[in-house]
Amino acid sequence: MTRFGNPRLARLTMCLTLACLMAGTTVSAQPDAREIVERIDRLMRGDSSHGIATMEVVTEHWERTMTMEMWSLGTDYSLVRLRAPAKDAGTATLMAEDDIWNYLPKVDRSIKIPSSMMGGAWMGSHFTNDDLVQESQMIDVYDAEVAFDGERDGVMVWELRLTPKPEAAVVWGSLEFLVGQDDNLPRWAKYYDEDGELVRTMDYSEVTEFGGRLVPAVMNMQPADKPGERTTIRYEELDFDIEIDESFFSLRTLQSGR
Amino acid sequence: MSESPWLRIGWRNLGRNRKRTVLTALGLAVGFFAVVFIVGWSQGIMAEMVESATSLVNGQLEIHDAEYRPDRSIYDTIGGRDGADIEALLRSIDADPAVTAAAPRVYAGGLISSGEATSAGMFMGIDPTRELTLSRFLDPLVEGRMPVPGRNELLVGAEMARQLDAGLDDELVVVSSGADGSMANDLFTLVGIFRTGLVELDATFAVMPIGDLQTLLVLPPGRIHEIAVSTVDPWIADETAARLRDHRWVAGIWQHFGRRAVEVVAWTTLNPAMVDYVALGESMYFVIIIIVFTIAIFGVANTMLMATYERRREFAVMLALGATPRSVRAIVLHEGVALGGLSLALGAVMTLPLMVWFHTAPPDMSWAIDDVTIMGALLSPSLRVEYDVPFWIMTAVALFATALLASLLPAWRAARVPPADTLAGL
Repeated sequence: MTRFGNPRLARLTMCLTLACLMAGTTVSAQPDAREIVERIDRLMRGDSSHGIATMEVVTEHWERTMTMEMWSLGTDYSLVRLRAPAKDAGTATLMAEDDIWNYLPKVDRSIKIPSSMMGGAWMGSHFTNDDLVQESQMIDVYDAEVAFDGERDGVMVWELRLTPKPEAAVVWGSLEFLVGQDDNLPRWAKYYDEDGELVRTMDYSEVTEFGGRLVPAVMNMQPADKPGERTTIRYEELDFDIEIDESFFSLRTLQSGR
Repeated sequence: MSESPWLRIGWRNLGRNRKRTVLTALGLAVGFFAVVFIVGWSQGIMAEMVESATSLVNGQLEIHDAEYRPDRSIYDTIGGRDGADIEALLRSIDADPAVTAAAPRVYAGGLISSGEATSAGMFMGIDPTRELTLSRFLDPLVEGRMPVPGRNELLVGAEMARQLDAGLDDELVVVSSGADGSMANDLFTLVGIFRTGLVELDATFAVMPIGDLQTLLVLPPGRIHEIAVSTVDPWIADETAARLRDHRWVAGIWQHFGRRAVEVVAWTTLNPAMVDYVALGESMYFVIIIIVFTIAIFGVANTMLMATYERRREFAVMLALGATPRSVRAIVLHEGVALGGLSLALGAVMTLPLMVWFHTAPPDMSWAIDDVTIMGALLSPSLRVEYDVPFWIMTAVALFATALLASLLPAWRAARVPPADTLAGL
């Protein structure tokens, strides 16, 4: 007599096991999209961070490379200061909650970016001022769903689709992210306008260990209507969970040139 | 009048009931006055609208790089990346007989900040001397003086000054994107405030000497975005544009680049809606003539019918004495013509002095009405009328036609009076 002597019982057990297995797969196949986004965000940003990056901007008319130092705290505060080239060194941007301030060392003044200019280019790059604010609060204004869950190019991925919540004042019509299931890291992000036209694509590459975490070291932003143009940010150094508090993200720090 | 007996008789007949004649003639004269004055006023509004749209800030022509519109990128300068010999270009434009002024301009978008307040702004680089001969918006200034080149001085609109809470001699931070990708920023001193009355302009425009803006934007002196040109009359802008387009300089640029590198556009192309609006207005003038004189025609016909009815016995006698029905008809029709002549004289006496007054010294209505903006053009609330002699002649013809048409039925009836029955009192 086998352990499951009773064939009926054996069949029932089998069914239950299958059901459990299936339930298990269902759970892992449809993770909460919101949770994935939050997980990526935590991973990429940490509670606080400090890093040095280079930003290479290529346009039809000019190319330039800037070196910048940046600090962040949570999703609401960040400070970016240019270290090179010499002409723009010291220029800094403070993002505190919804406001953005620029410090201009040449005239030793800080100016607040008016809301009408939030769509303007940030430091001449293909990023907008809005990107600095919006990126951090994306999960509050967009509904996220998993549009695809499976294998792409031999890697298990999630494709996330973000659509604006009703009545949310947002810049994009929709966004798509491709996220690796193994490392929870984004591979690319596509930004669409309200008509569903692709506006720009951000590619994440060169996953590198910084401060004990694996993050993509290179982010490349490519506008869809200008194929020859791009902005590439490359992290040179990055530390997470540093000792920093809200008082650091003040106009005084912005203007101190530290 | 003495040549034709019919007209003399018609004229004399008018004198038989002077009150009625004067009243009828007054009706037609007022109709003439109404048409000429209303149309003159409407043309005055149209002319002011076109003038405001083409001389307040913009010229009647604009010369740009062919790629400049509509994106207005700071890189699309006249002559391309290498720029052009602007002085030589301005000289050859000035040489055109229809051109009254030409001024170079540089434009860039950016931020302007004073203390805590920051506004999005449009920077306009100008040649102060040339600009004053072309556009009106900087003369007079509400406050202050024109900026002096090389001293980082600027002017802003009254609304921007209010939003920035900035006054004369305040230092303003000006931020834009340099042509080399750098963060263009510098301090400028506010030396003057202008007011166009167009809120959009007064809230966004900051004006500075062209060289100072070029330095800020890292643009060499030969790179400008626009040459604004004004012509003797807005309505010859199209032909002037065509002539400048064929100019040797423009043709030279064309050869150099192997494409049409410079565009010369007239305001009629930049603002087609206004051209349509003026055309719509002109089509309305005929409707006004028709409405006014159609009303008049019934009044005149009624009076003439009554007048001929009263004179049935007279016509019967004439016919009985051997006058032909045709001559009776001619008498009545000539009464109409004479009435037309009298009405026109009255109308002219009534209309011309008022037209001269309202044209040369239009009453200012600004105590009652604020400035009005139509299609981006500013109108002052004055009652200025425009002269249009061909239209007056047309109105005079319409007046005669009305008098003649109104006497057709009475003439026809007068000629058909049965002499025997009428004289017998039947």
